[in-house]
Amino acid sequence: MSLILTEHETKKLLAKYGIAVTKESIAENSEEAFAIASQIGTPVAMKISSPDISHKSDLGGVELNVVASDAKATYEAILSRIKKAAPDARIEGILVQQMAPSGHEMIVGLKKDAQFGYALMFGLGGIFVEVYKDVSFRVVPIGMKEAMDMISQIKGYPILKGIRGRKPADINAIATVLVSVSEMAQKENIIELDINPLIAGEDGAIAVDARAMIER
Amino acid sequence: MLSSIFEPSSIAVIGASNNELKWGGMIIKNILSGYRGAVYPVNPKEKEVQGLVSYPSVLDIPYDVELAITAIPAQLILQAVENCGKKGVKGLVVLTAGFSETGKSGAKLEKQLVSLVRKYGMRMIGPNTLGIVNEPFNLNASVIGKLPRPGHISFITQSGTLGLAIADWTIDMGLGLCKIISTGNKADTDDVDLIKYLDNDPSTGVIAMYIEGINRGKLFLETARRIQKPIIVIKTGRSKRGQKAVFSHTGSIAGSDEIYSAAFKQAGILRVDTIDEVFDAALAFTCQPLPRGNNVAILSNGGGASIVAADECERQGLNIVDLTQETRDKIKAVIPEYASSSNPVDTAGTVSFKIYTESIKALLRDPNVDALIVIYVHTQLSNAIPPAEAVVEIKLKCDKPVIACWMGGAGTEQGVDILKSGCLPNYSVPERAVKALAALVKHRDFLNTAKTDDPMPENPEA
Repeated sequence: MSLILTEHETKKLLAKYGIAVTKESIAENSEEAFAIASQIGTPVAMKISSPDISHKSDLGGVELNVVASDAKATYEAILSRIKKAAPDARIEGILVQQMAPSGHEMIVGLKKDAQFGYALMFGLGGIFVEVYKDVSFRVVPIGMKEAMDMISQIKGYPILKGIRGRKPADINAIATVLVSVSEMAQKENIIELDINPLIAGEDGAIAVDARAMIER
Repeated sequence: MLSSIFEPSSIAVIGASNNELKWGGMIIKNILSGYRGAVYPVNPKEKEVQGLVSYPSVLDIPYDVELAITAIPAQLILQAVENCGKKGVKGLVVLTAGFSETGKSGAKLEKQLVSLVRKYGMRMIGPNTLGIVNEPFNLNASVIGKLPRPGHISFITQSGTLGLAIADWTIDMGLGLCKIISTGNKADTDDVDLIKYLDNDPSTGVIAMYIEGINRGKLFLETARRIQKPIIVIKTGRSKRGQKAVFSHTGSIAGSDEIYSAAFKQAGILRVDTIDEVFDAALAFTCQPLPRGNNVAILSNGGGASIVAADECERQGLNIVDLTQETRDKIKAVIPEYASSSNPVDTAGTVSFKIYTESIKALLRDPNVDALIVIYVHTQLSNAIPPAEAVVEIKLKCDKPVIACWMGGAGTEQGVDILKSGCLPNYSVPERAVKALAALVKHRDFLNTAKTDDPMPENPEA
C-alpha cells in the first residue's frame, strides 16, 4: 500500500539520513504557533499540514514572512481558509518553519523504476525544471563521484558555479545530499520523492520543501 | 549451457518440411547449407525430408540430439518439448509463435513451456524467435536465407524481422557478422544470459543489440559493467513519456526512456539512435584500436567536407586539436602554398599518393593527435585510388585509429575496395565517420569510468 507523507514527515526522514532541513515544528493551536515562531526566530513560514493536501499554496494554506506578533492571527486565518476549501481534509495543524535561506534553488527526486530499481534526478529548480527539463538522472546507488557528475552534467551548471556576480553554490554539499537520497531509496521503500526546493548557498544545502510517497 | 544452442554436435528439426517456403522447410535447408554436424528431421507425416530420414518423434531418433529446433504449431509444443527433455536434448530454439506476445492464454502456455524447459535442465531461445546464426560454426539455424560474411560483430535482436533486414543490409555494407540471435519472447534465455555468453565467446568482438525492453534490468546493468567488449544498443520507445504527473515532479519528468539512458551510461553501454549508427560504430570497433583521448585531426582535399566533419566533432564532444609546428611544417612541404596546414588540414583540391602519405604520417606522429579522420572528396580531376593506397599503407604501421571517408560514390569504388582490404571501413559521409570515431572515444571513457573488473554477479533465474 502506498502512503503519502506530509512535508514535516518527509523532512524527518531526510534528517535521519543527515540531510539538513529547515527548523520547523507543527503547531496544533495558535498559542503554539506563536511559541514556535518565537523560538525559531521570525519571520517564519506557516504552512497547513495535512496528509490530504498536497498543493498547499493553491488552497491558501501557505503564508510567508510571518512575524511573531502575527503568528496567532495567521494560524486562524489559514485554518479558516482550509476549512472552506477542503472541509474533509484531515488537519494535523500548521507547520511553523524557518524562512528559506537565500541561495540556488534545486530539485532532487527519486522514482521507483520497474526496470532498474530507482532513478535519482537532479536539476535546478523553478522554471529550469518546469520548462527546460534541465535535469540529470542516475540509477541508484551512486557514490560521490557520480553525484558530482550528475551536478556538472546539467546545462545550468555554470549558474551553480556562480556567474554574473551570483554567489556559487556549495557543490559538495549538494552531492552529499544526492548520495544520501540514493542511500535512503531502498531502505525507506520510497515510491516517489521530491525535495523541491533544495537550497544551496556558499556553505551547505538545506531541504526547504519535500514530499514523499512510500510503500508500506 | 548456451553452447548447446550455438555449437551443437547434432540438431533435430521438429516440424521439418519438404516445402522450402514453410518455416520448417526453410530452416532445415539453411542448416544443411553449412552445418557439418548430424541433422535429424522430425515429422510424423514424412518418411524423408530434404533427402534425410525423417523421424515421427524426437524420441525415435537412435542417436543423441544436442539441439532441437521447433517449427510446429503452439498447441503441439508442450508434448514436443517434454519429448526433448526425455531424450536428453540440451538446447531448444523455439520458432513457434502464439505465446505471451498474443495475450493471456498464450502467456500461460509460455509459463508451462518454461517450466518444462527448466524441469529437464534445458536452455531455450524464444519462443517466437526467427532463430540463431553462428557463422564461425557454420550454423544457420534461422529463417535468414542469405548470410553476410563472417566477422566479429554479434547482433542480439528482440525484433526478428529486423534481424532479417539487418542480415541483408550487412551484406550490402560488406560487414562481417559473428552471431545473429533473434531473442523472441526471452522466456528463458534473456539479454543477461546472452551478453555473458558473448563476453566469453572468443569470436565475438563487439556486441550490438536491438532492445525493446529488458527483463532483469539491474542484473543486466551489473553484467554489462563487467564486460569490456563494446556493447552498442539501439533501444526503442524514446517517444513514450513516463506516467502522467500523479504525485511528484520527479515522477512526471522521469520517463522510462530518460532512465534507460542514464542506466546505460552508468553501465558503459553505448546507446545510439539509429540502426546506421549501431553498425557504423560496430564496424569501427572491429577494425580500429581505441584512441587514447578525444583529440582529433582531419585531413581532406575539400574544405567543405572537412568543416562538416569538424562541426560534427564539436557536437560529439571531440576536440579538433592544435597541431605542433613540426607537423605543420612537414605538411606545408607537400601541399600547395595556398592550402591549409592547420587542423582541419585542407589540401585545397590537390590529391596524390605523396601528399596523403606525408600528411597522414605527420599527423599520426603528432603527439597531440589521438585519432585521424581522412577524407577524400571525389572530383573529375582526382583519382580515388592513390590516397586510399596511402592511408592503407600507413595504417598498417600505426596504433592510432584512422577513420576513412571517401565521398562521391560512383568513381570512388576502387578506392573504397582498397580501404576495405586494409581493414579501413569507409563511411560515405563525414558525419557518419565522426560518430563512429566518437563511439570509440566513448568506449575508451567507459573503460576508465563505468567498467569494473569485479567478478560477475550471481545469476538468479529470470
